Amino acid sequence: MSMINAMPLAQARALYRPDADIGPPPELADPLALLNAFHPDYVSSSVAKLAVGANAGDNCQRELAELLQAEAIIDEADLAGAPVTDTDVLIIGGGGAGCAAALAAAERGARVLLVTKLRLGDSNTVMAEGGIQVAIEPDDSIQRHIEDTLRGGHDIGNPALVAAMAEDGPDVIRWLIHEGMQFEQEPSGDLCTRRAGGMSAARIVHCRDYTGLEMMRVLREAVIQHRSIEVWEQSPAVELLSNEIGQKCVGAVFKSLADGRFRMVRTHSVILATGGLGRLHLNGFPTSNHLGATGDGLVLAYRMGARLRDLDSFQYHPTGLVYPPHLSGKLVTEGVRAAGAQMLNAAGQRFIDELLPRDIVSAAILRECQEGRGIRVDDGRVGVWLDTPRLERSQPGLLERQFPKLLARARVSGIDPRLDPLLIHPTLHYQNGGVVIDVNGATTVPGLYAVGEVAGGIHGRNRIMGNALLDIISFGRRAGVAATSQRDRGPKKVTLEHVNRARRELTLAGIPLTHEAPQILPDYAAKGIWNR
Amino acid sequence: MTNDSDNSQTINLTINGVAVAASAAMTLVEAAWHGGVPRVTAVSCLESVCGSCRVLLRRGKEVTVNLACQTFVEEGIEAVFLPPQVPPLHHYEIGDFTDGWNIQARFHEIFPEASHCRNCHGCVRSCPKGIDVEGAIALAAAGHFRDAGEAFLECVMCELCDSACPELIAPAHVGLFCRRITAHFHLRPPNLIYRLEEQRKEKAGLAAGESHYTISPFVKGGSR
Repeated sequence: MSMINAMPLAQARALYRPDADIGPPPELADPLALLNAFHPDYVSSSVAKLAVGANAGDNCQRELAELLQAEAIIDEADLAGAPVTDTDVLIIGGGGAGCAAALAAAERGARVLLVTKLRLGDSNTVMAEGGIQVAIEPDDSIQRHIEDTLRGGHDIGNPALVAAMAEDGPDVIRWLIHEGMQFEQEPSGDLCTRRAGGMSAARIVHCRDYTGLEMMRVLREAVIQHRSIEVWEQSPAVELLSNEIGQKCVGAVFKSLADGRFRMVRTHSVILATGGLGRLHLNGFPTSNHLGATGDGLVLAYRMGARLRDLDSFQYHPTGLVYPPHLSGKLVTEGVRAAGAQMLNAAGQRFIDELLPRDIVSAAILRECQEGRGIRVDDGRVGVWLDTPRLERSQPGLLERQFPKLLARARVSGIDPRLDPLLIHPTLHYQNGGVVIDVNGATTVPGLYAVGEVAGGIHGRNRIMGNALLDIISFGRRAGVAATSQRDRGPKKVTLEHVNRARRELTLAGIPLTHEAPQILPDYAAKGIWNR
Repeated sequence: MTNDSDNSQTINLTINGVAVAASAAMTLVEAAWHGGVPRVTAVSCLESVCGSCRVLLRRGKEVTVNLACQTFVEEGIEAVFLPPQVPPLHHYEIGDFTDGWNIQARFHEIFPEASHCRNCHGCVRSCPKGIDVEGAIALAAAGHFRDAGEAFLECVMCELCDSACPELIAPAHVGLFCRRITAHFHLRPPNLIYRLEEQRKEKAGLAAGESHYTISPFVKGGSR
């Protein structure tokens, strides 16, 4: 990125005028050609074919393929003497999906153990700003929500999953309000809705630009307070456990960040709610994701034999910050564009309709940057303007009223988006694909469920705004309910048979067993985490 | 806007007792990674909304707390990442509340310490979001739950105010209680309820398990 031609920041800033006369963006003649030329999913050098496992022969992003085809961290010797805990339902992951699943299972009387890598609530959920899609306006319908979601996903999403999620929408909001989540209201009492990219009606409900924070702190508190949910923090999952023949998931192994010890959990239902993988920084991109988003759930599920899908499809959100450097890759919510903010290149020209689907807008920004119309900061990173001062001029007070989080975060860095345009560049934001699930969140492996970002099939190849927060609660609750319907008495024996099977397959395929996975933390943050 | 000559300047500080030479634009989290400080795992969102990276800061005789991801390195500062706050002692489940008329009484049963505030300002000084915690606790104790909750809009549940409170009020949890019961008892949006009622009537007219919605004909690759 540093070698390309671009205008230095100071020069571009001096040229920028919030009152300059700018016309409409140029017509986009061929969206597919734009994607093919500039979107990382479509660039063949970033994709590999999987050689082993349930998806052998399928395309997969190269960095992820290395993890899916890596050696396990543990073998049988590590489990000798490890304490065993029994529970009805085991949930791995402490974000929105994991908490929703835990509460749904506990409401049905199950003993629930929720185990999370970092702290309860550490997740991408807490950062979500935009809101939740739910079809409640008179000119909107569940049917239109389904159609927008499928179309936004390039028509490859699983319609049964999409229909289940969209139908759940109104009840999800009712449940969240029951748990104590607040939403923005009109003076009439109606929930405020707004429209964003790829939507045929106003459908986003929200709590200022703190929707994810509001959701997460409410669910976190509900989980902490629930009598039948136990929580283990600082406990990354390093492997799942299988039955004698490696065909059913019957538990998991955790390695504590507090004392470095292994602990085993035995159960009849495991719900993976481990989130995405932005912290793998695919194709060298910055990320909006939290530190723990390293794709661990995909690795664990794949080794257990679960089928995955759309592993070559990731969302690069158009508006990640370039400056200030410590917030590199962090998001400016699409809500800002939905409210009317435009994007400008170094020459002060619009170059794309800002409310087209995210993948197309990102590809257009990457085109501007690669073709020399970007703006460069001193360390060589490049971006384009998000014209927040013009938005503020057209709707005075809007930024402060609707986007307090954006202003607060910028203030810490001495930036005022009401006066300075924001320098932005696409950032790795979301894993579109993931573990194949049915409408109950059940994977192709008995006893194993997957919900939230780790699961696939809902968002096709491109998720539209507001469907992630809906997805996690809808499928989190569905899996929590389904997991409690298991009536067997739980496993007699827990083994690593699936690990042995995976190792044999890797050896037969001639793949060296030099790498271990899951990743747990990115390398730059992992120094000395097991030092005692 | 940016000046990289500042960034090349070396700043010396200690993090968890380890000497670190950082550059000027780094946050304490970045400096901890840069300096290889071991076992720094209380870090998550890196944009000061998750409340995980609680840090104690010593500048000479002055001691403060903050979030490490929004605190920049300073010459000579001593930073210590704090362990997580112990789980709250106050217990309630929102489903237990059936009657909004006795919610003030229930609040004082659950959080008896909230009316013992001695106005020491510890909570206000410790809040990395600048929330008037003390004022909000007084509102909550007087039954003004909506206003108290609104004051906690930007609360990230770092629970630094809980650590700071000598009366063990657990202000962060009081704030969340206020927000939650405000929604639980008062948020009844007509547009949402109308759609729920529509769905209920539609479902009543359908056989069990049947979906009202047509599945689009243009499906290509949905596996399963």
